[in-house]
Amino acid sequence: MNSGYYAACTGLVSRTEALDTIANNLANTSTPGFRARHNVFSSVLAASGGDDTLSMLNQDANDYGILSATRMDSTQGALTKTGNDLDVAIEGLGYFSVQTSGGEVYTRAGNFRVSPEGQLITAKGDPVLGENGPITLVGTPISISADGTISAKGAVAGRLKVVEFDSTTELQSDGSMYTTAPTGMAKMATNSSVRQGMLESSNSNPVTSVVELITAQREVETMRRVLTMFNSELDKTAAQDLPRVS
Amino acid sequence: MFRALYTAASGMTAQQLNLDNIANNLANSSTTGFQARRLQFSDLLYQNEIMPGSAATQQTTTAAGLQIGLGTRPGATEIIQTQGVPVSTGNSLDIAISGAGFFQILLPNGETGYTRAGSFHPDSTGAMVTADGNPLQPAITIPADALTVTIGSDGTVSVTQSGQTQASQVGSIQTAMFVNPGGLNSVGNNIYLATTASGDPIVGTPSGAEGLGSLQQGMLEQSNVSVVDQFVQMILAQRSYESNSRVVKAADEMLQQLNQLAQ
Repeated sequence: MNSGYYAACTGLVSRTEALDTIANNLANTSTPGFRARHNVFSSVLAASGGDDTLSMLNQDANDYGILSATRMDSTQGALTKTGNDLDVAIEGLGYFSVQTSGGEVYTRAGNFRVSPEGQLITAKGDPVLGENGPITLVGTPISISADGTISAKGAVAGRLKVVEFDSTTELQSDGSMYTTAPTGMAKMATNSSVRQGMLESSNSNPVTSVVELITAQREVETMRRVLTMFNSELDKTAAQDLPRVS
Repeated sequence: MFRALYTAASGMTAQQLNLDNIANNLANSSTTGFQARRLQFSDLLYQNEIMPGSAATQQTTTAAGLQIGLGTRPGATEIIQTQGVPVSTGNSLDIAISGAGFFQILLPNGETGYTRAGSFHPDSTGAMVTADGNPLQPAITIPADALTVTIGSDGTVSVTQSGQTQASQVGSIQTAMFVNPGGLNSVGNNIYLATTASGDPIVGTPSGAEGLGSLQQGMLEQSNVSVVDQFVQMILAQRSYESNSRVVKAADEMLQQLNQLAQ
């Protein structure tokens, strides 16, 4: 069978998978603190470490493009003013630390609330961690300084634990705006500052996403043409026309 | 089947709900004491096709996983607690709260409701009631022969009756605040009810030690809806809806291409 047929087929599958990521980025353009993910395509042979025994022709014909990974975009989202004292945005690469039943998780979504017990919690209801554990706020007004120090009614209640990661750390999105990282990778933030009364908008760029969308759509069309060509032009000739003895 | 179709649908549903919320905020931009709500979004689960950090070979691990998100979901509508602009009305029973706090209202079913709409009127017995006729708590009665009513910033209500030169105190207004006012339950008519999420009310004297805001007589707090802000949000919601519908169209056309393969 023609290897080009499978190359086109793989391309087709990878583009339909790419559409899923693009759709998720576009669906989350209004989600505060959302980090877009981008598709990483790679060729199968190159990824498997290279096989010297393959001829150049063989390599070219068998270099299938697959969707190998999605990479998190860590560019800063625009900060929008909300006027709510419990909304905080991070300027820089840091993350807020949150305590969940499954361990410590990280988030950029700073739309916090206060629980009936007075604890600072995330939109999902998990306690936000300070440097000395969860933060309890009693009374208003609440003010949060750029270094994350929270004070309620003039008294210091704690300091938000803002952490940063090396660019090589593998961060994993877990839904509900939470991100997990391998243990021991979080370092106390040095280049991040906190802004009260603001939220970071989603960093998903609709223009880029729509362009990616159109590209994926047209590429599917191209792959389809290629597949049809193998099917109607080459295979038909081989299977039907050649055996016919005139 | 394509996840993209459902992902885009989740985005469209969420934006539709967002628009509903914006419409309610805009419709109440002239409602006294109204506090705008904001829809909060969060991302849905991720499908891990390849876990980040899984072994690629015996020596190396994958630098980034293949994670595919499954869309967005509206999480909550949070009450925005910013101060509305107090506007002078000249009416002696109009009261605005400057800062934190809610007036306590006795509802017909015996429950206590909370409101920031401080437009009160005397009823047939002289008791201070809201526009709906629900009495202020603790009850304050204005005598029928009162010439002037003065409400101090700490809630002290005093009246000057005809034939008297000295003002006499008839009661004092107490306000309530909550640990988490964002968790109050709106029941319409400008009334909020306390919930387990909001916590128990902390009742006290306005501008007192509890941190409650002070009262301003002859003023009404306008809605805290910023019309410009809501319009911007509306445009964003509309465009986001549009781009999500574009994804549905693209997914549909891709499926069409696949169907044509069989021809």
